[in-house]
Amino acid sequence: MDSGEIDLNKIKEAIDALAPERRRELLAWMQTQKRPLWAAWRSRFRARTEWFRLLPGLTRAVAGTLVGLMGFACVEAAIFDSGWYSKYLEPDSTAGQVEYNLFWLRRTWPPKTPDVLVMGDSRIAEAFSARVAGESLNGKIHFMNFGMPGSTPRVWYYTLRDAEKDRNRFSAIVIPFNRYSDFDSGEDLPNRVTDLNFLAGRLRWSECGDFSRSYPEAEARRSVLTGCLIRGLALRADVRDFLSGIPERLRRTRNWRNNGERYVEGYDGKYEDLRGLSVDAATGKIHFPPGAQGWQIESASAALTPYTGRQSGALTAYRQKWIGGILDLYRNSATRIVFIQLPYAPLPMPDPAEPARFIDSVKWRSRLTALPGNLFLDLEKPELFADGMHLNRTGRQLFSERLAKAVAPIVEEK
Amino acid sequence: MLFTTLNFVLFLAVVLGLFYILPRSARRYLLLAASLFFYMAWNAKFVVLILGLITVDFFAALWIVHKEGHQRRMALLISLCANIGLLGYFKYINFLRDTFLHLPPLDIILPLGISFHTFQSISYVIDVYRGEQPAIRNYVDYALFVAFFPQLVAGPIVRAREFFANYFNWRPPTGEEWQGGFALILTGYVKKLIFADRFALVADRYYSNPAALPGWMPAWSGTIAFALQIFFDFSGYTDIAIGIAALFGFHFPENFRRPYLSASITEFWRRWHMTLSRWLRDYIYISLGGNRRGRARTYANLMATMLLGGLWHGANWNFVIWGGYHGAVLAIERAVWGREAKKGSVRIPLTVLTFGITCVGWVFFRAKTLSGALYVVSQMFSGESGSWLLGPVEINLALAALLVALAEEYWSVLTRLGSQAPLWVRTAATVAALLAIELFTASDRTIPFVYFQF
Repeated sequence: MDSGEIDLNKIKEAIDALAPERRRELLAWMQTQKRPLWAAWRSRFRARTEWFRLLPGLTRAVAGTLVGLMGFACVEAAIFDSGWYSKYLEPDSTAGQVEYNLFWLRRTWPPKTPDVLVMGDSRIAEAFSARVAGESLNGKIHFMNFGMPGSTPRVWYYTLRDAEKDRNRFSAIVIPFNRYSDFDSGEDLPNRVTDLNFLAGRLRWSECGDFSRSYPEAEARRSVLTGCLIRGLALRADVRDFLSGIPERLRRTRNWRNNGERYVEGYDGKYEDLRGLSVDAATGKIHFPPGAQGWQIESASAALTPYTGRQSGALTAYRQKWIGGILDLYRNSATRIVFIQLPYAPLPMPDPAEPARFIDSVKWRSRLTALPGNLFLDLEKPELFADGMHLNRTGRQLFSERLAKAVAPIVEEK
Repeated sequence: MLFTTLNFVLFLAVVLGLFYILPRSARRYLLLAASLFFYMAWNAKFVVLILGLITVDFFAALWIVHKEGHQRRMALLISLCANIGLLGYFKYINFLRDTFLHLPPLDIILPLGISFHTFQSISYVIDVYRGEQPAIRNYVDYALFVAFFPQLVAGPIVRAREFFANYFNWRPPTGEEWQGGFALILTGYVKKLIFADRFALVADRYYSNPAALPGWMPAWSGTIAFALQIFFDFSGYTDIAIGIAALFGFHFPENFRRPYLSASITEFWRRWHMTLSRWLRDYIYISLGGNRRGRARTYANLMATMLLGGLWHGANWNFVIWGGYHGAVLAIERAVWGREAKKGSVRIPLTVLTFGITCVGWVFFRAKTLSGALYVVSQMFSGESGSWLLGPVEINLALAALLVALAEEYWSVLTRLGSQAPLWVRTAATVAALLAIELFTASDRTIPFVYFQF
């Protein structure tokens, strides 16, 4: 027998030799040793929480209620604020667009060539092709398209804030403007509650106060604050959709994480155009080409009908807050910020009377370039627009090449 | 300030916190101030109306106690005229103008909860007159009885002796009462936001234009959706109200006891809006003679009581017919079966039949016009089938609710879970309920409680 092996017979003999009392003590001790781990934990937990059971009834009940509420806050935070759920967001959703763009950005190593990020909403998503832009410069510059339909400068600010910590990845970031002029076009950007949906995976609890205060209207502020603090409210529709088909969502999100970047890059733009569109200069009546579809008529009517509402200066303040915020993010960085004025509508529209107050107030800043406002003016043609706002496939090709060529000298200036 | 808004939750948290921080003598003032603030958040100018009624009834009750004979009756009459007069003006004047004079409606806003607080006030003054309730001598105490915010808008209709027995012998809630109250509030929110608002989508879809969805299937499914909507909506509101009162140490009477498990309409009214049924029984049915004056008079009294009950819900012929329909079914049941509740397996088919009878009544409650209601009823019994409007989500919700109702009916599962379960079970239940409310609230917009219109 090895010295390390236990001789059971000897143990039995030793137990038999014990006095009955000592034997009972030993048995009791052995029973404690047999207890499973969870039972030991439970005893320990019960001992440590004994004070809670000794509290008076009402105090204990109130404390129990608070424990329940805190439990909810913890579970909510674990699901939505930890970033866990962001991995399973619907790729086409508002929050999903932001999260997948950032995921792809973090996943890819910075290229050896200069890297240029083009920020924007659906106008950029439709008008700009990173592939075409890169090819037009023979790959000397690498472009990324962060065009997210429905997004606004407020969304761009938080997206860029989280895009890179060191602020040195990009040689340039392109920020598009519908018009350089601070002309209020009737769109209430400062009170846009849907911005929260884009940023549901980005905002931290500590930012909810500041974020909600950026909404001038009390109702919007309250709604945004609630959605920011209880993140599931903002993502409710997405969660329900997720739960209604979990395997399909998992498959889609995995596919999108792995291949989505290629799908976006391979997008060629819309085929439709508005050839034949005209506006009667005398009456202002819009003539649509035969066969124009509802979505084209609706968006073209909106784009070509001049806004006659009051000018409040709200757009200037909004741009100062959010685009000014982006400039501040890159204040001490080598990254160039490039402003461009987009081709606005399928027909040239008169310049709004409002001056470009925001751009005038920041143009002194170093490493900021505002490209000429008329750079893309000649693209405002019905044959290059798919609808009232978005360039089509041909327009996309022209715009991408021209933007690349305009940005290249700025990047090479470094 | 609807119960389902964040504003109300914050308001409740502040009032509750202050209530337990302030010395006991100051709490009544806090509750009255909070109740009036709650009322004024809807429409500040109507606070004059409710305070006016409170003042009239307060002094009328004192007058009744101090005077005798003719003067007592005069005080009672003044109080009844003030309550019924104002209720009549705000609620029924347009109905009367339209029905009897064919005049266009006046632009009148119905004050919040007027049907509920006037009934509560009337019951107090009548109880004082009958000698069943001593007159309250402190104005603040009485004002709080009428205006206490959890039950101000849509009940339950609390009797003065219930409220003051609790009020003058107030003690802090026990741990079990607090837990039960909190569980009831959560249950109420789940009922309203997940169940009622989901069924409302189906009911609204059908009742917005019944002619667009002909056939018995849409008529029945749309009406069943409304039957479930109104139950979850109103009982959800009541659960929240009773739960909030419990957190303040007040015990409100039960208002719903799983009414759709009733095996007769008589039983249904013992389980549905129980405080209104009790009020109608005590102040109308019994005052008319109840069942003490022969069978024919009993049936007539039942009919009259239910007609008034229907009219109480709204100034509209649909509500009168709804009340009359229930009165007629009650009278028939009384004639055929007597008052005994059925027991044993026969309850199952009778419960289904009772639910069907109730649904036919709900058509008049929900339809916008009398002709619309008659059209829906005709469709319910037509040969054409049409499409079934309740989808898998609604059916699963209904089945889940049925299982919970049966578990509560026979084993009081929810009641025990709410007040006696260990901490970890309650914490898990709270987290699950709040997550469910957060993620499965049926509508992104706030849908007001159905009974707020009354």
